[in-house]
Amino acid sequence: MLNLTRNLELSFRKIDKPLYKAYCNASQGKHDEFKALNIRNVKDHSHSKRSVKKTQVLPPRTNQMAVDQDWGSVWPGPRSFHPATVPLPIRQGYTEKGAPPPDKYANAELMKIPNFLHLTPPVIKRQCEALKQFCTPWPKALDTMEKINKHFPIEVTSSDYCYSGPSIRDPMARIVTLRFNLKSLNLDDRAKDKFLRLVGDRYNKETDLVTIVADRCPLRKQNMDYVMYLLTALYHESKKIEPWEELKSQADMEYYDWTKHASKTNVEDIFKCKFEEIPGIDKFSDAVSEYMNEGENEYTIKKYGEAVRTLLQLPFSKEITNKPL
Amino acid sequence: MLNVTAKLLLRSTFHKSIQIRLVAATAEAHHEQILQSFRTPVTNPTEHNSDHLARLYSIPKEDKTVLFQHGGLPKIFATHIKTFNETCLMVREPALDIINCLKTIDYNKPVVRFVLYGQKGTGKSLSLAHIIHYAYLNDYLIVHVPWVGNWMRRPKDNSNSETKQGFMDLNIDAAAWLLHFKTQNAKLLKNPDLKISREIHWTKRETTPKDSTLTELIEHGINRIRFASNCINILAEEIKLLSCAGLCKTLVAIDGFNAFFYPKTRVFADRREIVPPNRITLTEGFLNLTKFDWKNAAVVVTVDELVIAAEDQTSHLPRYLLGKTGFEHLDPFIPVEVTGFSKKEHQSIMDYFRERKWIQPYQGIDEELYFLSNGNPFYLLDLVKSY
Amino acid sequence: MAGINSLFKTKILLKPNTFSAIVQNGMAIFPSYYIEPIYKKEDQEALKKSGEISEYVHMPTKAALNSQTCSVSYDPILSLFTNYLMRKGQKELARNLVERSLEQVKRIQLERYHKCNSDEERAKIELNPKIIFHRAVENGKPLLQLMPVKRGGVKYQVPVPISEYKARFLSMNWLIEAGREKDRTKVRFWTQLARELVDASNNTGKVVRRKQELHKQCEANKAYAHYRWS
Repeated sequence: MLNLTRNLELSFRKIDKPLYKAYCNASQGKHDEFKALNIRNVKDHSHSKRSVKKTQVLPPRTNQMAVDQDWGSVWPGPRSFHPATVPLPIRQGYTEKGAPPPDKYANAELMKIPNFLHLTPPVIKRQCEALKQFCTPWPKALDTMEKINKHFPIEVTSSDYCYSGPSIRDPMARIVTLRFNLKSLNLDDRAKDKFLRLVGDRYNKETDLVTIVADRCPLRKQNMDYVMYLLTALYHESKKIEPWEELKSQADMEYYDWTKHASKTNVEDIFKCKFEEIPGIDKFSDAVSEYMNEGENEYTIKKYGEAVRTLLQLPFSKEITNKPL
Repeated sequence: MLNVTAKLLLRSTFHKSIQIRLVAATAEAHHEQILQSFRTPVTNPTEHNSDHLARLYSIPKEDKTVLFQHGGLPKIFATHIKTFNETCLMVREPALDIINCLKTIDYNKPVVRFVLYGQKGTGKSLSLAHIIHYAYLNDYLIVHVPWVGNWMRRPKDNSNSETKQGFMDLNIDAAAWLLHFKTQNAKLLKNPDLKISREIHWTKRETTPKDSTLTELIEHGINRIRFASNCINILAEEIKLLSCAGLCKTLVAIDGFNAFFYPKTRVFADRREIVPPNRITLTEGFLNLTKFDWKNAAVVVTVDELVIAAEDQTSHLPRYLLGKTGFEHLDPFIPVEVTGFSKKEHQSIMDYFRERKWIQPYQGIDEELYFLSNGNPFYLLDLVKSY
Repeated sequence: MAGINSLFKTKILLKPNTFSAIVQNGMAIFPSYYIEPIYKKEDQEALKKSGEISEYVHMPTKAALNSQTCSVSYDPILSLFTNYLMRKGQKELARNLVERSLEQVKRIQLERYHKCNSDEERAKIELNPKIIFHRAVENGKPLLQLMPVKRGGVKYQVPVPISEYKARFLSMNWLIEAGREKDRTKVRFWTQLARELVDASNNTGKVVRRKQELHKQCEANKAYAHYRWS
């Protein structure tokens, strides 16, 4: 024990002497008489608190609203939410778990979202009543969709929104979309083929609809005129037969037509008669067409092989006879 | 832990395990050798029927030397013939199917064309060899091209044609083929009725007179290599005329036929310009032979991926390989698919290998190899190298 | 400044190894206490039968190599030979060469087999290429090797006993070198290797001669044998 204390003391001495002294005298100093040094010579004064001026807030208008008041005149047009005007105990927003959502006063969540308080059913009804005098009744004969499509095959779509920006002119308003069934044009096969080539990807094969969109002109009227012009031009152009169209070769065909290919002439040469007279030719021509149109796969090849065997009256592979001939 | 590792190392004594397996399987092998269910004694393809399916028959040595002396069998198969000391072919469905058709065809009608197709290494060429053997034994005049790729992809030489402007001759290859034709049909060519129909002027001085035999025509082609390509075209015409006249029955067998329609050949004209097959003189003769406008003959061709450039080997199906012109040239043809080995065929070929001592009788080797080779005969042959 | 220096020193002294619990096994992926995989179905079955499998079930085990398969044709010595043959990591090429040479061995032996007239002669011919390969390796193994020892400024070639592993390596390496000694344009490697394998399995050929030469030299240097100790 004695040894340890001596060791401790020795080690302390090794550390700086002044620090050692300070450590030893620490308990003898007077703390309560400590004074801060006032270098800039600032006068000491106590701060007076600034009094907050409270603005007088009126009680909300909802307190005075009658139960049977005319809401359409209280909230006549679109406007962001105001808690003192809407007499509904609405809550919106998220707080911590378990607590109810904040109420409507000073609630930014409610003010952010667009509201339809100006479009309540009675107000709409009233507005429709007012507009009724300017409308004509729906024709009674057009009661089904088929009839509508038959008599009015063209469908023109454009949008009529006010733009929420510095200008209320909606840039989308000038775009005109024209849509119609290709069937309603009554084109023949050749004209239809040409029409489809002209239209390109504007034709939807599944619904048989052609959609033409015009947005190149600044005004809707101009776009509308342009769309109608396009329709007219397409129709007449596809009806027209140009001299170079006669040059369409087999390679340009969309599908394989057996009667126009070498396969037909080959078969006719082999049997030395017209192809209609050859037995089993239907199966063969079908098989070749399928082979070409559907592409090459095991199934089409097999079918083709079987058709050729029946055509040339050869035995099938399953019928390998057990007796040598 | 070290103890465990040491034990493991000790356990893996390799010799022992191999020998144990060998001993276990030899008993089985002996049993099978007696039965020999994989072989058939019927060596004449005419008599083959569905009972012989998946069995092997051996081609007699003299037939083999006549038919395949100058090629016609795949290279690896040819080396195996030497090792196995015999030529054995498996009776398989595609060849049997075509032979069956050849038996029933009405030879007074226009020529029927067969197309053998299938994936690489499934045995198209060997099926063709089987059919050729049938034709040989039934006295057909055999027009057999062992591999068209040898002409289009690896020509021995080429020179501008003297008779046709803008055409290329492959004279050495043509002469070699004439020799092949001569050896294959040596027996039939002795027939004095096989005469040529017209006088042929080679040059001002050299002519082959009318009514000289086919052999003389062929001899001329072989001896005067300059005219070999032209000789083949004339020979093709003459064969057609003779067949139509009923003097001979012809089988045209061409391996790798689609090479005649594949535009990228390796035959180059002056200034390294690629010559398409339709500007090679040989093509004309063989396309002439595969037309349907003659009778008393049959055409069997194979279409193969290996005959076209590697970058275009995307499908093994005939329409793709023949292209539009090739398809229209052959249409209507009978497609015959050559598939890989079935379980039964695999079993019999493995038994054959064991009988020929080519593989050792390990246990469970058949299942393993069938799985690894996926039933493809060529892969199987490659896999059994070290077994 | 001194404080900063000392700080650096301590940092450098902190090696990550001293703190990590995993014992590194050189560059190997698996630590040294991982056991070798048991990839053969037969071995696994045998372990299951004897009940020893329970010892291994929870042992950390190395993953089996790509070349270690349970195929019936798998032979560890052959795969070792393939690895010795391999250059620049071209394993596929090496394997192909080995397979082809085994094929050639079969062809050589079968040719002899078909030339034989009697069944007795035929029975003598070994047709299994792997057994021939094993015999060739076994026959090529030397019993002694020469080790250079420096005594009094002079290097003496001292005969010393050889380990099993080294003997096998020498035998295989001699086989490979013998396969390479050929006409470069006319003979393929696998053909030459096959010939050497067949020769060595019959206790003749280049490899066996080389082994015998080594033995002779060891015999000649017998007098230096004591340099191994003193």
